[in-house]
Amino acid sequence: MGKNKQEWDRLLYIVPFLLVVPYLYSTGAHSTDYAWIIIAAPLVFFAVIAIAGQIWNGNETWVNRLKEGGVLGLGALGMSLSAALWMIYEYLDHHGHIEVGEPWSWLTFDILTYDSEGWSIATTGFHGIGFGIYLDPLSIMLLFVATFLCFLICWFAIGYMTTDQINDNSNHRFFAEFVLFSMGMFGMVLADNFLWLFIFWEIMGLCSYLLIGFYYWKESAAYAAKKAFLTTRVGDVFLMIGLLMLYDIYGSLDFAVVFDDPSTGVGGAVVEAATLQTALLMLFIGAVGKSAQFPLHVWLPDAMEGPTPVSALIHAATMVNAGLYLVARMVPFVDVAHHGVAGMEDLGLIVAWIGGITAFMAASIAFVQNDIKKVLAYSTMSQLAYIFTGLGAALWFFNTDNHHAGAIVFGGALFHLFNHAMAKGMLFMASGSVIHEVHHAHSHLSWSHGETNHDHGGHHNFDPQDMRNMGGLASKLPVTAIAMMFGSMSIIGIPLIGGFWSKEVIISKTWYAYFHGGEALLGPAILLLATAGMTGFYMSRMWFMTFAGEPKHELIDHVHEVTPWIKTPLVILSIITVIGGFGLALYGAIDWLSGDSTHLSMHGHTLIDQIVHELEHAFLPEDLQLRYVGWATIALSFVLGPIMAARIYGGSLRNGEKATPLVHWLTYLSSRFGSQNVDELANSQLAEALQNRLYFDDLYEGVLARTIVPFANFAAWFDKNVIDGVIKQIESNSVLGSVQIRRITTGSARDYILMAAVGALCIFALIWGVGA
Amino acid sequence: MMIEASWIAGLGVILFGIGLIGAFSRKNAIVVLMCIEVMLNAANLNFVAGALHHGSVDGWVFTAVAIAIAAAEVAIGLAILLSLYSTQETISLDEANLLRN
Repeated sequence: MGKNKQEWDRLLYIVPFLLVVPYLYSTGAHSTDYAWIIIAAPLVFFAVIAIAGQIWNGNETWVNRLKEGGVLGLGALGMSLSAALWMIYEYLDHHGHIEVGEPWSWLTFDILTYDSEGWSIATTGFHGIGFGIYLDPLSIMLLFVATFLCFLICWFAIGYMTTDQINDNSNHRFFAEFVLFSMGMFGMVLADNFLWLFIFWEIMGLCSYLLIGFYYWKESAAYAAKKAFLTTRVGDVFLMIGLLMLYDIYGSLDFAVVFDDPSTGVGGAVVEAATLQTALLMLFIGAVGKSAQFPLHVWLPDAMEGPTPVSALIHAATMVNAGLYLVARMVPFVDVAHHGVAGMEDLGLIVAWIGGITAFMAASIAFVQNDIKKVLAYSTMSQLAYIFTGLGAALWFFNTDNHHAGAIVFGGALFHLFNHAMAKGMLFMASGSVIHEVHHAHSHLSWSHGETNHDHGGHHNFDPQDMRNMGGLASKLPVTAIAMMFGSMSIIGIPLIGGFWSKEVIISKTWYAYFHGGEALLGPAILLLATAGMTGFYMSRMWFMTFAGEPKHELIDHVHEVTPWIKTPLVILSIITVIGGFGLALYGAIDWLSGDSTHLSMHGHTLIDQIVHELEHAFLPEDLQLRYVGWATIALSFVLGPIMAARIYGGSLRNGEKATPLVHWLTYLSSRFGSQNVDELANSQLAEALQNRLYFDDLYEGVLARTIVPFANFAAWFDKNVIDGVIKQIESNSVLGSVQIRRITTGSARDYILMAAVGALCIFALIWGVGA
Repeated sequence: MMIEASWIAGLGVILFGIGLIGAFSRKNAIVVLMCIEVMLNAANLNFVAGALHHGSVDGWVFTAVAIAIAAAEVAIGLAILLSLYSTQETISLDEANLLRN
């Protein structure tokens, strides 16, 4: 306990950071004037941590008191969080009518104009690139998700990273990159034009490369980092093309200019639907790369090579949401009720189809993964695909002039983004807790047995992430087990918990679109419904394999929740996951997020009325077809999936061991469903194909080996022999020439005087000759 | 009786030739410096001759300025020679050829 007390004292260091915003608030300032703090604080501390970490590397105070910069990073993110909360509070308090100051002008261009009086510099209007903030419910929600989760993950990372010897003396690198990554996300959410959005987007791409390759001495990690970077790069090229096309159409990339009237281009020209749709599709390909959707999804599972806090950061809080954010920003373009451009239904259909395919594919691959983090990675892909499908349906509704339905599914998709980010962030941290404690027990055990005195001995034959080595952890890691249970429930969509409220909206509205003219949306709608049941299976499977049944490895007896700093974020997020979804649904979060209502409130109902209304809405919608869809979803995800998982993987704990009552019922119940042997199925060809991630990696590698690699070899040859050859020829010739010229520099002053005299005589002779 | 301007110019040419030949034939750096001064003064004589011939005062002014500058230049030249001697222990120009090739 004494040790823990000492650990908590470290939190005192972040108090000064947290006091800055309350002080500014007390001076009566406006939050939007200080929005730069959100971005500046992490940016400054990126440099501070990186430099100080190099100087004081290994210093006792730096390592023990400042946690190798972790506490400084936590302070900086705390400052961002408090500034963001202040802004969110003001935004909600003023019902969205909030003054945003003049953008800070970053680059100013002089525009030369030519008229009858000749060239002159234009004096009217601002020409250049400014940086301001853009606030609407979407950016406010995402800002909260990003700042809040980054803060909690940083907190978790202090516990996770600094107690592992393998990281000793390199954690400042981790924390510096971590805060820079957070800065990228905050900036991207706040940016008020597409150019800055793109810049911050790329900062995140760079940081994800650095963080995935944190263990760069491991070949697999270096490979994964490279893969993630290059795969997202494919999307980014298209994104850039899309932005250039948008600039071509509107003559500006400012949200204010572009969204003011998307149907009118630069100089009052009418925007053609085909051109705009191509531009938006380019943007969408960028989003697909960033959010790991089919067919650019291959990088995300490999990204698990990074430390677990990075997985949480990339896969829940930040980078993957960037793509969703970009697609959600497309709504004004297609919203025909508000100056949108008609005739772009295909865009919504493509988005929805990509989402549907990814959701189904990722869920089926998740069936057979044994690595706890990989299950979560595929689950992330699948859930993001839900959101994409929802956004696609929303784009379709908006473009077919059904504003009401579009707004509901748009708000529902964003709400799912919120619920998923909270739950998945927590799930990744909980899996990190499991991995960390199992690893801890393993190295402790092998050390005390004297098998090896190597830091990570026995790594070769023991994988702390493999769920086949776990089982029965419910009694050993009570907090983690509870957190994981609630997180899984939210992802599955167990009624009344977190993700249920948003997932239900997405599925039912996609079906609604099919029933009302969108025949092409039948595919995504069916895929989503099937995926709901599959989600129930693979998430339950993960939980049962990890926590229920008898331990499958003798090591499990030695696992305890010992590491400080890890539990707190789990508890906070558990509470938000359980009641946050329902609570926000009661306050009309969906209407607010879609912009249909300006404030979060119960619209004058009493609490009981509102609860009854919401429940009725969710379980007994008036449209009979949707009622069937809703109940089918619930039956698949709540009943069929989990029970099948329980039959295969469930089981009660070992005799005499008891978990906390909150999860004990689950292990007990799972043993009542009997058991089923699936070895035959597990050895089938389908399972093998799923194990190999449906051969996508092999396919891409094969295609690359046949096309790009020969071309690259030719380019290398050309570069070496032709381009370098010319340059080398020039070089060797000038060397030879200079050897000759060098001879006349004798170093003797008299020779130089003679040369000067002769030269002067020559000049005289020349002048004389010309004169004559 | 006034001396003709052309005589003065002729003296300048002769002095300049002597200075030039001395500058690139002698080894001793001090002598070379003196030869350079001779050439400078030959140039001054040319200015004087020009002033006489044109009857204007410009040439006299130039000569006065050139003499003042020449004095400063000699000081620098001698300082260079002193530092050359203190580092190389010689003032022979044949041996001061560090910049060769």
